[in-house]
Amino acid sequence: MNTPDHIRNIAYTECQQLLDNHSGIMAVVIASGDGFDLTSATSRSLDPARIAAMASSISAIGAVVSQEVSLGKSKSVTVNTEDGFVYITHIELAGTHYILNVVAGQSAILAQVIYQCGEIGKRLRSI
Amino acid sequence: MNEYKLVFTGTTGAGKTTAINAISETATIVTDVANTDPTLAKASTTVGLDFGQINLANGDRVRLFGTPGQTRFDFMWKILVKDAFGLIILIDNSRPAPLEDLETYLNGFSQELQTIPCVIGVGRTETHPSPTLDDFSIKLEHQNLMLPVIPVDVRRAEDVTMLIDILMAQAEADLITA
Repeated sequence: MNTPDHIRNIAYTECQQLLDNHSGIMAVVIASGDGFDLTSATSRSLDPARIAAMASSISAIGAVVSQEVSLGKSKSVTVNTEDGFVYITHIELAGTHYILNVVAGQSAILAQVIYQCGEIGKRLRSI
Repeated sequence: MNEYKLVFTGTTGAGKTTAINAISETATIVTDVANTDPTLAKASTTVGLDFGQINLANGDRVRLFGTPGQTRFDFMWKILVKDAFGLIILIDNSRPAPLEDLETYLNGFSQELQTIPCVIGVGRTETHPSPTLDDFSIKLEHQNLMLPVIPVDVRRAEDVTMLIDILMAQAEADLITA
């Protein structure tokens, strides 16, 4: 994965700001489609490489499910859990497809995370 | 009608997706994405799972699952091998260290290998004869395993079917000796 440093830095800043500015977010990871972490921000001992690989698998499975049932292109996958959620969505960065992955606890608000991820996606697409 | 679940695993580029495509009687489900790993000379790679199905002459159905090859996806290995009837490990003999590759999957599936039959399929042996099939068998012996090691070209449906036949035969033998 050969991403220029300045693009990686911009992506990192977005991850860190999302983590810092919203209660309950534990990890923000941007991963390549094939599961390598490009950059990440975490507030506890979560392994970004592991999260990136899982996000890649979940995202790919979501894509084939949506294809199988003819519901168009998959936009995101949410894993709701007892103690929080994982939100996985597609973004474009410097013309390349990536996966934005947010791990959050109970105090985070899913709708707000979805909105913020959309805003991050818009900003990164315009780089 | 009985249903069986078989899992194909093994190194990236060994042909897990190709093997399932070669024999599946239904449209295969493939979760390939663009490969960004410069160490792999391939355009796409499986990150979730492959899925296909075949029907046996007696009416039984075999569901075929393929795992991602890379160890960073080993969490999918555990998910996919659950309740599997058998495991087929595909090794690409053109890779730098095929015996170490085999060890990776023997370790990754060590728990399952105690209870389900397994066959090792080694590809590209015509162009890359070393290590030999005997070398693989010796490697298995060192791990206290006795498993069939077969040269295969997974592009050929008959080779993939042969792997499954051997797996079935091994399962029957295990039943007899159990």
